[in-house]
Amino acid sequence: MTMKKMMFVLAYALVVVSVFAFSKATENNKLAILLSNQYAQQMADASDKMGELDSAVKQTLLFNHSEGSKKAREDIWRLSSDIRRSVASLPLDTAFSTSWMNYLGRIGNYAREADRSPDSEEYYKVMSQASKNLGVMQDDWRLATAGLIDGQYSMDEWNNRLNASNPDVDWSNLGSSIKQYTETDFPLTASESDAMKKRELKDIDEAKVTQAEAVERFKTIFPQVSNDVVGVEMSKPGSPYPFFHIRFADGESIGYIDITEKGGHILSYLSERPFGKSSVAFEDLKMTAEEFLKAAGYKDLVYEESRENNTAWHFVFVRKEPFYDAKVFSDVIHLKLAKDTGDIIGLDASEYIRKEKLHRQSIKKIDWKEFFHQDVQIVEDELAYVENERLEQRLAHYLKVTRDEHGHTGTYNVIIDTETLEVIKTEKLE
Amino acid sequence: MTIRRRSGQEPDLFLCTRDNKKNLFGQTEGKEGMNLKKLLIRILAVALLLGTVYATSPVEIDAFSSRDIARGATGDDVIELQARLQYISFYNGKIDGKFGYGTYWALRNFQEKYGLPIDGIAGSQTKKKLTSASSYDEKFVMDNLKKGNQFTHYGGTPLASQVKKGGGGKENMHLPSKYSEEDLKLMANAVYGEARGEPYEGQVAVAAVILNRVEHPDFPDTVSGVIFQPLAFTAVADGQIWLEPNERAKEAVLDALNGWDPSENSIYYFNPITATSKWIWSRPQVKKIGLHIFCH
Repeated sequence: MTMKKMMFVLAYALVVVSVFAFSKATENNKLAILLSNQYAQQMADASDKMGELDSAVKQTLLFNHSEGSKKAREDIWRLSSDIRRSVASLPLDTAFSTSWMNYLGRIGNYAREADRSPDSEEYYKVMSQASKNLGVMQDDWRLATAGLIDGQYSMDEWNNRLNASNPDVDWSNLGSSIKQYTETDFPLTASESDAMKKRELKDIDEAKVTQAEAVERFKTIFPQVSNDVVGVEMSKPGSPYPFFHIRFADGESIGYIDITEKGGHILSYLSERPFGKSSVAFEDLKMTAEEFLKAAGYKDLVYEESRENNTAWHFVFVRKEPFYDAKVFSDVIHLKLAKDTGDIIGLDASEYIRKEKLHRQSIKKIDWKEFFHQDVQIVEDELAYVENERLEQRLAHYLKVTRDEHGHTGTYNVIIDTETLEVIKTEKLE
Repeated sequence: MTIRRRSGQEPDLFLCTRDNKKNLFGQTEGKEGMNLKKLLIRILAVALLLGTVYATSPVEIDAFSSRDIARGATGDDVIELQARLQYISFYNGKIDGKFGYGTYWALRNFQEKYGLPIDGIAGSQTKKKLTSASSYDEKFVMDNLKKGNQFTHYGGTPLASQVKKGGGGKENMHLPSKYSEEDLKLMANAVYGEARGEPYEGQVAVAAVILNRVEHPDFPDTVSGVIFQPLAFTAVADGQIWLEPNERAKEAVLDALNGWDPSENSIYYFNPITATSKWIWSRPQVKKIGLHIFCH
């Protein structure tokens, strides 16, 4: 009798588990089909738009003057942005998708910037070549994405195909060829090369410091946390600039500091510890920050802004160049000060040490009343060097303006090139 | 009331002995009259003393914290400042405890209207004036912030009618203007999902990689675009991104948003023990933090 009951319970449990497993598998299958359909739709959409992009590129080649090709150039920018978004949302090989993203960004920006270039021959040459390459790239794209678009593969099969050691599509080759097209069609501009050199600290030609000298610099600048250095490592060989990575654990403070080998400059420093509840007054913290910067040898900085958070204040200081008395917004130092004790628990000088090369620039007179709508008030007006979209450092009017927005006062930063009067950036301030 | 003189001591200035026949001003009086005068002198002296203490002590405002509140500040005293300014219709933004430009202009307008020095800083004088000119229902404000409700705190309208459920809340963090609270939340989820067992530096570095990708031409140009790019982050693929991040992960993201980059411009990182992609080993490696290798 008991055996019978047991058998019944077991059989019942088996049926329940089977039904549950079946419904789960069906649900998972449905989800996989749904996802696969969405990816297929995105891929098909991107393929269609690639055709439209190719057509828009060809249309711009019909005209001598940029005015005639304006609409088609706008289409290039719009379509390249749309395709970029589609590529970004698809499960593709990393090398393949990053190369595509880069190419699409570059072709879009080139078309948008064509108004600035008086040389229509140059545009014709670049875009003719791009149009030819775009055709080849489109074929590669169709080949690479065929399996998912026509439903040949499930999501699992597609992912296995991507991760296979011998994939049937040579993703790496496809990625490399797109990269080559990018380099030939849209080589780096002079300011882009400069920006890269700066990022890689190529402009620093100071003498190398030893590991011991780097540690000594740490101890001099942060004596309160540097008693117990737990490890010093050199950056890995792939780093464009060698630096010492120093780790410390002093009392309750644990953290790191990175110091360049060339010149012994601090890149960044952070210290982590438990925080108390007491609070040092903001003015005292600001004074501590300013005194620290002077003592550490950063003497050309001015206070820009600060933000209070749970346990610390984040401060921003910017370099001021003496000729125009202009702030240089690419040369900043960030400081983090603990609210409970006022200690410096963070420093980032990586942008500051990549000092910008600045050029003199004319300052055109400008009638702000005509420039802005009548309900706009200028509340601050100063000069500053700011990087524009083409990565050039430009002297600019750095304005803070306000406007009544249905009872709210809207505050904006408006940055205007002093020579070309181009609006480099407009930013709403909260 | 009599007080015995302590031996070897001069009489206290305000106290007289039973034997004295003259008061402090040299006048001779009867016993009752003398006691009354003594009492009056004492009352006068105590009043004088209290007056001096009051005049020289810092101003007590009965509200706010003792610090000056300026742009960039965050916290409960900023909540009170915004609520009070809203009560008298100078501030019509969100009461969120972050002293931004909206609060700044509202405070300046208040200072101008009430004849105070116009500096946009809530110092003791401004706080005192604001306290007397407005009202603050701390319980109402704090309860609604805690519940994550949308609400206002205008005077002259019943507070109960100024609440809408949901869509509010406060985060005690002040971000650079180009980032939103959604960016912070999403990045904190990603950092917690990807690197919760890593040193603090490693968590800041993971957050910095996300931001470096946003700026890099090979990647999407938004925080959400980068995080949800298919196959980009393991935590997205296995759902760990939806774990509730801790304060440490949030703090790490905050440092990255404020400019720290321990990854030194890296755009990739991987765990050499668990990485399955061969391609990732071809990237130029910059630095190892905890279990992660960061690369370009």
